[in-house]
Amino acid sequence: MTQPSSVFDDSDVADGTGLIIPLQPPSSAQVFHTVHSEFGHCDNQLQRHTSRHPLGVPLERTEEQDPPYYILITTYLSFVFFICLGHLRDFLGKRWNPELYSHLIPSDGYAAFSSDFDSFYTRRLKSRLDDCFSRPVTGVPGRTIILLDRVSPDYNATFHLTGKHIRGLNVSSYNYLGFAQTQGGCADAVETSIGRYGLSSMGGRMEGGTTDLHVQAEALVSRFVGHEDSIIGSMGFATNSTTIPALVGKGSLVISDEYNHASIRYGVRVSGAQVRMFKHNNMEDLENLLREVISQGQPKTHRPWKKILLVVEGLYSMEGTLVNLPAVVALKQKYKFYLYVDEAHSIGALGPHGRGVCDYFGVNPRSIDILMGTFTKSFGAAGGYIAGPKPLIAALRIRTHAGSYAEAMSPVVLTQVIASMGSIMGVADSPKHLEVSSSASTSTIQANGLRDGSEGRERLRRLAFNVRYLSRGLKKLGFITYGHEDSPVIPMLLFNPGKMLLFSRLMLEWKVPIVVVVVAYPATPLVTSRVRFCLSASHVKTDVDMLLRACDEIGDLLDLKHGHVKERWTVDKIIDNALQIAKDASFS
Amino acid sequence: MEDSALEPLFVFIAYSVSTIQRSFNALPGSAVIVRYVKSSHQNDPFRTILEAILVIFAIRTLLQSRTRSDTTGRHFIKFTANEIDELVDEWSPEPLVPSLNEAELADLASVPVTVGPPGPKPKLQSTGKTAINLASYNFAGLSGNDKVKDRAVSVLRNYGLGSCGPPGFYGTNDIHLDLERDIANFLGTEAAIIYSQGFSTISSVIPAFSKRGDIVIADRGASRSLRSTVRWYDHNDLNSLEEVMQSVAKEIKTKRWRLTRRFIVTEGIFENDGAMSDLPKLVELGRKYKYRLILDESFSFGTVGRTGRGLTELYNVPANQIDLIVGSLANTLAGCGGFCAGSRIAVNHQRINGTSFVFSAAMPGMLAMAASEGIQILTSTPSILSNLHTNIFTLRSILDKIDCITIPSHPASAIIHIQLRDPIEPAGNGLPTTARAVSRRPSNPTSLVPRDLVVFDIGAEEKLLQEVVDEALAQGILITRARRLRGQEALEPRPSIKIAASAAVSKKDTEKAASILKGILTKVLGKK
Repeated sequence: MTQPSSVFDDSDVADGTGLIIPLQPPSSAQVFHTVHSEFGHCDNQLQRHTSRHPLGVPLERTEEQDPPYYILITTYLSFVFFICLGHLRDFLGKRWNPELYSHLIPSDGYAAFSSDFDSFYTRRLKSRLDDCFSRPVTGVPGRTIILLDRVSPDYNATFHLTGKHIRGLNVSSYNYLGFAQTQGGCADAVETSIGRYGLSSMGGRMEGGTTDLHVQAEALVSRFVGHEDSIIGSMGFATNSTTIPALVGKGSLVISDEYNHASIRYGVRVSGAQVRMFKHNNMEDLENLLREVISQGQPKTHRPWKKILLVVEGLYSMEGTLVNLPAVVALKQKYKFYLYVDEAHSIGALGPHGRGVCDYFGVNPRSIDILMGTFTKSFGAAGGYIAGPKPLIAALRIRTHAGSYAEAMSPVVLTQVIASMGSIMGVADSPKHLEVSSSASTSTIQANGLRDGSEGRERLRRLAFNVRYLSRGLKKLGFITYGHEDSPVIPMLLFNPGKMLLFSRLMLEWKVPIVVVVVAYPATPLVTSRVRFCLSASHVKTDVDMLLRACDEIGDLLDLKHGHVKERWTVDKIIDNALQIAKDASFS
Repeated sequence: MEDSALEPLFVFIAYSVSTIQRSFNALPGSAVIVRYVKSSHQNDPFRTILEAILVIFAIRTLLQSRTRSDTTGRHFIKFTANEIDELVDEWSPEPLVPSLNEAELADLASVPVTVGPPGPKPKLQSTGKTAINLASYNFAGLSGNDKVKDRAVSVLRNYGLGSCGPPGFYGTNDIHLDLERDIANFLGTEAAIIYSQGFSTISSVIPAFSKRGDIVIADRGASRSLRSTVRWYDHNDLNSLEEVMQSVAKEIKTKRWRLTRRFIVTEGIFENDGAMSDLPKLVELGRKYKYRLILDESFSFGTVGRTGRGLTELYNVPANQIDLIVGSLANTLAGCGGFCAGSRIAVNHQRINGTSFVFSAAMPGMLAMAASEGIQILTSTPSILSNLHTNIFTLRSILDKIDCITIPSHPASAIIHIQLRDPIEPAGNGLPTTARAVSRRPSNPTSLVPRDLVVFDIGAEEKLLQEVVDEALAQGILITRARRLRGQEALEPRPSIKIAASAAVSKKDTEKAASILKGILTKVLGKK
């Protein structure tokens, strides 16, 4: 049934890696409708799990293990070394080779284009690691991804494409539910939509850019997240950065988790509200802060705050931690602040029904004032949404910059949202007004698996299994990982900046290429450089096995195993006991 | 007895002291520190204390986290736990958003919804009928282009839809790289960078370059929030710009500011009224006073010039003379997102410092392809834009003859704003009517308030204009009022009706629409 009509058809390549053709060929009883390289073939119902937090059990704080001192010291030393070397190079370079520094030196009465101090980190530290960043790709960012091979003849100043393609296992894209596909019900729906609507809405939401698809998608989103109404914006970043200024302003206070995303910080800065931060996910610190700010009132004047808005993320993408939502909601009852939850990464990826952190913790979504999320990640689309009570959303439609001035979301993107979200919900069960009627719009969802929601549930359960298996497997191997074990983002600590480069390269050049994301300062604290695995429902158990093997081998080589665990297991033992590892309620 | 009891303790202390001393001496460089402290202490004991305090202070600063609470401040009041509980109980916050008033609700209800594609004659949900579309930014008529659709399907079958990642982490694919190259080639700049939303582009570009202390001179018609020193010049008045530049130069001299980056920020065709900037003059002034020019071409890119390259083509100014050109890919090109074109250094700088580039997912490849294809079509078929220009001319030749309105838009602008000729004065809100008197005094560059402040009653004017829009819709013409965020703009723009000319609408339909509009405008606005 698979039709890899792709121009990237590399089936002639001697495989044996399992990336394109499954290692075990499917039996005659098994029929798969997906392309294995995009969405892995797996019908083993044992390799499934449900992502859910036991009701009534308080969320344990995730511990952040410290590495041995020599690791910390060498990490600091390497930064010190690179900073000194960088300054030395700047000093000599400006004198001997000034044309290379022309944009940093004032000339002809113009000030320097960027200050050498501001760009120091970029030029002297990040440029050494540039090999691991911004690698161009081609094709679909599904279970595997194709890198465009590149070389740098001048120490990362420029890169040239060699024309070669490298297909690797993709544990980097935010493709949590595996909807980044070129085949299947969603892609078919999008194709129909291209034919009917074209690609663009040609205008702002208030000025003729609203189509029936917008209305339909917003109704679906509000039902999905469990709130009264929602508004869709064409860019996730802008959804945060333009909504927050519409909610708070002078005289209001925003309480923000210290690791909140840049878009939230940008929005808060623009809003003109006061901002206070609390220690990441630390509820005691939050309560102390709340007591302080409410009792003290506004600085100097001591007038009471007009309102207090608490902004947290459902899943922190750099840390892999989940917000302690039950505790936050309990605090909300007592301290009467408004709650804004950014579910950019958690929506679709967490909870038994994929409806984000509320679903995961069993919290009523209506007890949260504003639910924000994006479609880029789990739904394989783009843009973001805000859901909340009807009057609030109505006000936002009129009062946000993005609502009035930004372009409306493209109809094809909306179709992808409707099809993928509908397939998780099972739109066949939904009331009539959501029925995707063929007269008013596209006959969006045709495939049966999408209509009754069985395919969506399957994806959720596959993701939950993969995530637990990898997260617990890495710990058992002796690595230090951060975050919650049900988080689809799993950060594994590397510490030394030099190891980032090596780890990323070695994974890519391992016997089966593995494509990973490494992140460092300023996205993380200086010492805790890390690699970030993003798992997907499209991965199969053998992919995770492979990833564990690669990490085991390279981890030994780079001396990365510093975690404290009761008993370290060999990688073979872990792979053999995968089901037990992933499914035990508490496993250590 | 006591002595013997304490003896082990003394021995232990003596032993530890000597061990510490020995290990300290064993440290490489310890002798230098000892010598330094000794000599400095002999010279000036006070200095040792000062240095010790400095060291302690430095450590304290390092250890202080950004989540610290401010319990030591001068204004801090200590409360007991009970008092805090009471204060918490007492506090009642304002509602998160004030509920909408009637005008706003009516505003919201009047938003047109189209069923199906936003082509030249879309079907409207409210009436169920089709209307001539003069609202969509379908300037070149690329919406629903068959060639683009065909290619979109092939992109879908090879790339899927979403990019599933930010550009830095495997979100950039070859379609994005091609688009960046196409834009740079089209405009004639060294490089270009694409952002995933047109609106967020400029608000990310400006802060990426203009840091604290830098000077930005911006047009009053284009307002954004900035952290730098901002000066304003009168809308589209370049003499005013020069005056402001001179005053800044004077200020720099008298206050002895260090050399900082200076920018002029303006729009090619202003979204708010369709006026056009005089680019050659802007470039000349920029050169003269050493300002870099940031030009937002969201509405001029793809509409003016023979092939739609924007103001640079219209005025025949090489694009490399403008430091940063920002534009939208969502309007004419019928894709999504925005771009910023400029020198390679300027573009690469944004790849790390453009917040909404770095922290946002890359745009779907399919939409990037649409923009690339759009550029290709514009370059190969100049007749598309000549159709657009004919339609603009047709519209203007009819609308310009109506007495009761003013059109502030440039004759070449594809968006045409219609305002009431005579502002409706607000009834008794205490604003001095003399503000309308034309003064020759230069405006205050640090304030957004223009020299000749026009006072108008927003509510009344918007209501009248909405009447026109509703009537037009009833007669089969889709136009909209320019929607603005009332109360959030630093300077309230005059209410207006925004008409978007399109190459996709036939000349006959354009003519018909303009005549009908003329009738409605005369009827509704003439009677007041």
